[in-house]
Amino acid sequence: MDCRKFLELISEAVDDRLQSDLKHQFSHHANICLPCRNEYEVDRITKSIVRATVHRREVPSELYYAVLTEVQKSQSSQRSWLEVIFGEAFLNPAVALVALIMVAVGAVSLLQRENAVPISADKNIIAQSINNFSATMAGVLKPTFISHDPGDVKDYLAKDTPFEVDVAALSGCDWCGGVLSSFNGVKLAHVVYKIGGEGLLYVYQVDINEAMHGTRISLPENAKASLAKTGWYFEQTPDKCNVVLWKHKNTLCAAVSMIEREKMVALLSEKGPW
Amino acid sequence: MLAFFLAIISSTKGLHKEFEREAIPHMDILYNYALRMTGNADDARDLLQETFLKAYRFWDKYEKGTNVRAWLFRIMKNTYINLYRKAVKEPDTVDYNDIQNFYNIIRENSADANDLQEKLFGHLLDDDVTKALESLPEEFRTVVILCDIEGLTYEEIAEFVECPVGTVRSRLHRGRKLLYAKLFEYAKKRGFVGKD
Ligand SMILES: [Zn+2]
Repeated sequence: MDCRKFLELISEAVDDRLQSDLKHQFSHHANICLPCRNEYEVDRITKSIVRATVHRREVPSELYYAVLTEVQKSQSSQRSWLEVIFGEAFLNPAVALVALIMVAVGAVSLLQRENAVPISADKNIIAQSINNFSATMAGVLKPTFISHDPGDVKDYLAKDTPFEVDVAALSGCDWCGGVLSSFNGVKLAHVVYKIGGEGLLYVYQVDINEAMHGTRISLPENAKASLAKTGWYFEQTPDKCNVVLWKHKNTLCAAVSMIEREKMVALLSEKGPW
Repeated sequence: MLAFFLAIISSTKGLHKEFEREAIPHMDILYNYALRMTGNADDARDLLQETFLKAYRFWDKYEKGTNVRAWLFRIMKNTYINLYRKAVKEPDTVDYNDIQNFYNIIRENSADANDLQEKLFGHLLDDDVTKALESLPEEFRTVVILCDIEGLTYEEIAEFVECPVGTVRSRLHRGRKLLYAKLFEYAKKRGFVGKD
């Protein structure tokens, strides 16, 4: 056995995985070659120190039950999205009223069952976003995927979108969710954030070229001009919904929320350049 | 609409049962791995919870009949890397020659390697070893934890970290050597060695 072979087999020797003939050759080399023997001793000693000092621990029972409870809770959040929405949104009567009225007056007109995203009659992206926000508040628009980790939601949506989906770790975000749909054959991604203490933030996402130059969906000219010039656009609806538009790579994002303008802009700005 | 929701409820119940039966029993090994990776109980706790939540969410992606422990482990490892990526430090440079020389000197005066070990490291504590482990780059730390603390076979480790057995072997060698250098450093700092 030469030194190269010896070094290669050190781990196997330390873990007693060598067959008897190899074992024999190995110890023979260790006896005649001091540098190799030292290499071996270093590994052997390290293993025995780790084994002697580090002890496995049982999961504390309190943690064990905490994990079970979390899983249980996540199960219920998966099945009663409606409950979650009603529980959260309807704590605020004003928000609830707006959502209910908008649903009642038919702002959310057609409901496509399979898709979980209502289809708006309006080509205008801003109108669609506002509709979808109220549908979210009313529990009509349901994310098909929910996670505490924005990365998971992004992965989930990215599988089936030709544009780069923007899902960020917003500060104070309890969880976020996503769902895909299409309008006039244009693929759309919808992201919903639950911001602790602030409420829901909805983001409509679509290919930027479709938004700026396409015919199947549309944007008002002033919004286009502002996006081209500054990279973003802001609008407030009469019932105090704030709408923020921005470009993210090849994606147009339209966020709608009842979070106050300053807070909303601050929240969205901290995730990076627009 | 109600029927639709009821259908979802009953299907998630079956899923939940299966998850509890298959995944929950492996909490122990994952907790220990989390402890050794993060180096403290609070982070280990967060990592464990996040891992099981993710595993539950992706349970339909788990291929029935494959190694569930390895699957859970990979979720934990990825979660760990995502959560703590920023905190990962560059490994300290280690002067092997220093150790090698020191080792030779001691050896000349000591017939028994076990004696030597006792002399050098006998006073190291669990905390020292934990801290030393924490300082290893992730890929080396993982194999050392799985082999020397969890007692997994090379084949199992290879499945866990998705690499060939030969890679497990060489990472163990590198990892143990780096760990030794760290432990030696602690022993020296604490004055257990190099004083006579
Ligand atoms: Zn040699």
